[in-house]
Amino acid sequence: MIEVHNLSKSYNSTQVLNIPSLDIPKGQSFGLVGNNGAGKTTFFSLLLDLIQPTTGNIKNKQVVVNESEDWKPFTSSFIDESFLIGYLTAEEYFYFIGELRGQTKADVDTLLNGFEDFFHGEILQQKKYLRDLSKGNQKKAGIVASFIGNPEVVILDEPFANLDPTTQIRLKQIIKDLAQTKGVTVLVSSHDLIHVTEVCERIVLLDKGEVVRDMMTSEATLQELETYFAR
Amino acid sequence: MFKRFLSLEWKQFSRSSYFQKGLAIKILLILAALYFIVCFGVLGVFSFFLIEDGFPNEDPLEVVNNYLVFWFLIDLGFRFFMQQLPVMNIKPYMIIPIKRETVIHYLLGKTTLSFFNILPLFFFLPFSIVLLAQGYNPFQVICWFFSMVFFTISLNYLNFLLNKNNKVFYAIVAVLGALILLEFYHIYPIAEYAGLFFNEIYNKWYAVSIPLLLMILLYRRNYKFIREGFYLDDAIRKESKEVSSTDLGFLNRFGSIAPFLKNDVKLIIRNARPKQVLMMSFLFLFYGLIFYTQDMYRDMPAFLAFASIFVTGGFLLSFGQLVPSWDSEYYKMLMSQNIPYRKYLESKWYLMVVAVVASFILSTPYLYFGYKIYSMIAAGALFNIGLNSFITLYGGVLNRVPVELNVKAKAFSNTQGFNPTQLLIALPKMAGPMLIFYLPYKFINFEAGILALALSGILGLVFKNFFLNQIEKVYQKGKYKTIAAFDEKK
Repeated sequence: MIEVHNLSKSYNSTQVLNIPSLDIPKGQSFGLVGNNGAGKTTFFSLLLDLIQPTTGNIKNKQVVVNESEDWKPFTSSFIDESFLIGYLTAEEYFYFIGELRGQTKADVDTLLNGFEDFFHGEILQQKKYLRDLSKGNQKKAGIVASFIGNPEVVILDEPFANLDPTTQIRLKQIIKDLAQTKGVTVLVSSHDLIHVTEVCERIVLLDKGEVVRDMMTSEATLQELETYFAR
Repeated sequence: MFKRFLSLEWKQFSRSSYFQKGLAIKILLILAALYFIVCFGVLGVFSFFLIEDGFPNEDPLEVVNNYLVFWFLIDLGFRFFMQQLPVMNIKPYMIIPIKRETVIHYLLGKTTLSFFNILPLFFFLPFSIVLLAQGYNPFQVICWFFSMVFFTISLNYLNFLLNKNNKVFYAIVAVLGALILLEFYHIYPIAEYAGLFFNEIYNKWYAVSIPLLLMILLYRRNYKFIREGFYLDDAIRKESKEVSSTDLGFLNRFGSIAPFLKNDVKLIIRNARPKQVLMMSFLFLFYGLIFYTQDMYRDMPAFLAFASIFVTGGFLLSFGQLVPSWDSEYYKMLMSQNIPYRKYLESKWYLMVVAVVASFILSTPYLYFGYKIYSMIAAGALFNIGLNSFITLYGGVLNRVPVELNVKAKAFSNTQGFNPTQLLIALPKMAGPMLIFYLPYKFINFEAGILALALSGILGLVFKNFFLNQIEKVYQKGKYKTIAAFDEKK
């Protein structure tokens, strides 16, 4: 689904990302781990064509992302709060995203019904603008918005941060379901090694912009990651 | 302690991003401030003599006193829109051992030095000096002067209380409007009664205690207000009112641009900054009064053309120059969504056109100045719709400044969305219509000038698609730059 070729990104001759090659097949739940500054967000930003690659490119379903915009209809993401429109209520935001992705209100409502548990009564009908919600609740809204319109690729940057434990557990289930039953390619980055090993079939470890480990998740993965980061 | 606060304040000021921008902006800001200071000063020095000439039978001080009430009301109005609430980042001070009283006194005290309090001094001080020179009782004049200072500072504190309560504000606006109408149509001589009051303040020196008490009272009210709210949940988090989702379904008839249009309407009505722009653009409607009422400009129709652009173009110019900055807070999201730039732009364009048409309808009273002026406004409106809208949109793209939506622009420190590119773009917006009007006017006649201005607008409309395509290209080209600029910390 996603193919990376000779991708690198430099700012004033400081290289922050260098991935010669990386393939993510359709329906894989893909985890990205690494310390601060490892290049996780840079990689996601390149994938979303928010920054320009210095060399190489990324193909999303055969579309070169920095040359054509045809990847947008089937790709969705939540990177940070700047993906929310602060002066809308959660419902209005969902419908707006729905309209952009060619969904009717009824479609969006149906989808939202499935997330009642996840919202825990704190998102819908709150009579509040998104900017007045707590960080955690903003995140919930943003994550669910990225599921609108049957995307084939979902990109979530640090989805577990700021969420309460109950929601974290529910989110893990949701992500697993997306990849396993709906065939959605899910890309997740996280600082929480336990969550990421539980959710992702495959984990790539970035350090200073380079891929240092690329492994299919097994029982030993968590141990291996912990050993690596404890060094 | 105060000294340390001051040094922190200075660092905040000198290290803030807008201050570190260009030298040109700083100079312009200083020039703007100087301009106002000089205006007020000149007024202060000469108003006595002007009034003496204009109303030979009346005492100039009494005339001034009669109109003071309007002066103060207008002052209050300006403050409401332009003056920032005293904000200090109190979070860090809550957990370190500083008396809350100290922080609050500092916070309130520093607002006394606001430009809004100093500016009136540039009128009252020279005016009082002239009074002294004219042989008025020195003691009474000095008391009167201090009364004015206390009133001004009272307004300062009143404004902070008002700012917390919109209802009070609208009540005041209604009262102000009613007063002006009553006065204007000679139904009830409001100014006279208020004048009596201010005259009494001059006549009885001890009346200076009234404004003094008022000032102290308002200060204490503010103090109490902040003291009670000196907790994180009140002071830092803004109260969030209950809001309901609205659909704005009637906008669906606009088809594919509807989602954007709906969003833009919500953007304007739900955020402080765009609301401010809306209010200001309403004031632009009155811009023509400055030009049309003066004989000096009667013979310089090019300047009248200039004014006509502003009458209908207030919203267009002030809102349009910040497209796409209005969406800077969530621009990354927009860019990763499946969004045709074209629809996005068209939505903004329609908003601007609607605003011009609305302003044009509201400008009907200008018929009073004769059909020539009115036809000029009409031609100006067409120019605004057909050409200015595109020029402004084009300028906006090059104007990559993030805008904080729910923060009011500060007076005289508002450099958000203001840079040399903006000035260059402003040139055709201002000089263009003057030139288009002036040339045919000079070589043929007045009607030809009007016609040329109107035709240029219609021509622009005909080429709408071409213009939008060009702007779209600029968007595409500047995409990464824009994202990076909007991403910068404010």
